[in-house]
Amino acid sequence: MSTALTDIGLMEGVTEAMNGAAVERVSLGEPEWLRERRIHAWDVYERTPMPSTKLEEWRYTDLKKKLDLDSLRLPETEAAPDDPAAWPARLRATMEEDHEASGHIVLVDGHVVHADLIPELAEKGVILTSLHQAADEHAELVREHLATEAVPAEEGKFAALNAALWTDGIFLHVPKGVKLDLPVRVTRSYTESGAAYFSRVLIVAEANSQVSYVDEVISDDFDEQTFASTAVEVIALDDSQVQYVALQRLGRRGFYQSVQRTLARRNSRLDTLNVAMGGSVTRVDLSARLLGPGASSDMLGLYFGDEDQHFDFNTSQDHEVPNTASDLLYKGALDGKSRAVFRGIIRVHAGAQQTDAYQTNRNILLSHGARADSLPNLEIEADDVKCSHGATVGQLDEEAKFYLMSRGLEEVQAERLVVTGFLGEVLAKLPLGGVVEKVNRVIEQKLSQHS
Amino acid sequence: MSDAPILRIQGLEVQVAEEDLPILKGVDLEINSGEIHAIMGPNGSGKSTLAKALAGHPGYEVTSGSVEFRGEDLLELETDERSLAGVFLAFQYPVEIPGVSIANFLRTAVQAHLPEGEELDIFDYSDQLIERMTMLDMDVAFAERHVNDGFSGGEKKRNEILQMAMLRPKLALMDETDSGLDIDALKIVAEGVNKLKAEDPEMSVLLITHYQRLLDYIKPDHVHVMVDGRIVQSGGPEVALELEADGYKVFEDAAAETARA
Ligand SMILES: Nc1ncnc2c1ncn2[C@@H]1O[C@H](COP(=O)(O)OP(=O)(O)OP(=O)(O)O)[C@@H](O)[C@H]1O
Ligand SMILES: [Mg+2]
Repeated sequence: MSTALTDIGLMEGVTEAMNGAAVERVSLGEPEWLRERRIHAWDVYERTPMPSTKLEEWRYTDLKKKLDLDSLRLPETEAAPDDPAAWPARLRATMEEDHEASGHIVLVDGHVVHADLIPELAEKGVILTSLHQAADEHAELVREHLATEAVPAEEGKFAALNAALWTDGIFLHVPKGVKLDLPVRVTRSYTESGAAYFSRVLIVAEANSQVSYVDEVISDDFDEQTFASTAVEVIALDDSQVQYVALQRLGRRGFYQSVQRTLARRNSRLDTLNVAMGGSVTRVDLSARLLGPGASSDMLGLYFGDEDQHFDFNTSQDHEVPNTASDLLYKGALDGKSRAVFRGIIRVHAGAQQTDAYQTNRNILLSHGARADSLPNLEIEADDVKCSHGATVGQLDEEAKFYLMSRGLEEVQAERLVVTGFLGEVLAKLPLGGVVEKVNRVIEQKLSQHS
Repeated sequence: MSDAPILRIQGLEVQVAEEDLPILKGVDLEINSGEIHAIMGPNGSGKSTLAKALAGHPGYEVTSGSVEFRGEDLLELETDERSLAGVFLAFQYPVEIPGVSIANFLRTAVQAHLPEGEELDIFDYSDQLIERMTMLDMDVAFAERHVNDGFSGGEKKRNEILQMAMLRPKLALMDETDSGLDIDALKIVAEGVNKLKAEDPEMSVLLITHYQRLLDYIKPDHVHVMVDGRIVQSGGPEVALELEADGYKVFEDAAAETARA
């Protein structure tokens, strides 16, 4: 019977590890509303066909070749203790690099193992905690926002899978008028080869608040394909300012899949930066919705591929009311046989006059085997708007290289400067403490392997 | 001024690499240590090609002839090695490098010029940078701007001379440094070059220019005329003055004659 069902796209992706029984297991001990939400999500998952390359949004990422769902297990690792000595070495090293923060969350293998927050902020009502815990302790808030308006299960196959099977995640709530001077830092480490991890991020910034959030994902190389799925929901209420940064530094054979949606209300500013450096496959679905007049979003992205890394960014900028702005800039360098796909759409909804929307994707190819496809798109249903999009794919500028070498720089140094300069434009727009240095170090590392 | 040749070019023929397009058709030129030479010539005659070939631009291929620099075969050296050996090219069209600050770039370049194993003293470096920028009447904040990115024509040229002043070459090839500079800026830049020359009398300069005006400030010992990939006349400063009066017509006619023959 299951053959017949999968033939029409039903039950696709139901595996020995991922099935209805697994959903029941994760929801054990959880509040009833959450259990119901999971079961609903699972139902959506079963009814949604696995995305195929016939779909425009998946044309360049063939999941049949890139993802072996059947081989994935749900992680078995117990939650690590809240003690750095027990954490993976890479995690400790990464955290040591971090600058000051308003608070930290550490996840090891999908469990929150540590959370801290400056006491003064806790007194002001800021909540930074495990999402799992928040579902109990802050049920009202979580219930209102979790997988409802931002990333509901109906969003797609992976959103549904994530909503059904997430084990833990981050809940950050900033009350009215509270401003965090230092970023909140989240570090997640994955260690179990062959596992499928599901986590969520829920950020709610109330009116007039201000917060930046940096989420770094790391791992060593895996022996088998390992799947790291995140659903990110960021809600910026009136006049708030939010910066969301995701730093992906997974090891090889990691499959990074992230569905992100940002909701920007009246006069809010909601900026995002996605940096993808690691993993074998990266798929990011980012959607920015501008929902209140005066809202704006800068959407930044940076990626550097080598060997056979594959990056696929699928973005949308939805201007749903008049007088909103979005500005997207994604830049990447590709070496070896790596490949990047950028597909972005600007949608100006009917009546959304005075929209300013820009979209730029630039790539440099550092080798003959590398490839980049850029597919910008516009859908405009208003007449008084300023919109533009542009995409370039080019080689390293030989004149620039000659210029630098004529000043005594070795060829590799010259290439390094040109590439870091090219990518640096993105980081310069969101220079959060520590992130720039960290990313530059990875870029240097990758360039030093470039031949 | 000594008589030891710092640069000896013999029968140099250069073509655009990967295309059979000859541009320099046998250039002979000798520059002694400490001398200032000027090359003038009509648009497209090959002046920049000569300068770029000397700096090692990969787009140009030397098909014949030789270049000796301080007794060594210059053509054997990579672009960066030529710089380290003391050749500096001030570009006619300086290249924009977005995202790379002048300060950062110059620090890397100055470091590259230090003897192996020697670390750049960052304080000395900053002092020197500030001193050079002041000499060229440049705002120190300019060092934070990205190399040539969005610079005006004059700013680009001044930035070339700043780099030259920081790297202290033995041979400076200055390709139309005067074009794009206003009258005051030209004076400042010329004074800067003369000051470098005074600091190191051994430094030789090859000026490429279309105008006598530059030569009023930086006085050449020799002036050459390049037409159609060859040097067709050499002499003293008076050659430039004659050109100013008569133009290139007589040389061009003669070149056309040679081409026909
Ligand atoms: N990369 C190239 N590809 C094709 N043609 C080239 C290339 N580089 C130079 N040339 C040609 O070679 C000739 C000489 O060019 P060059 O730039 O050396 O002239 P120039 O004497 O410096 O002129 P100007 O006074 O205008 O600066 C020109 O006809 C030019 O078009
Ligand atoms: Mg020229």
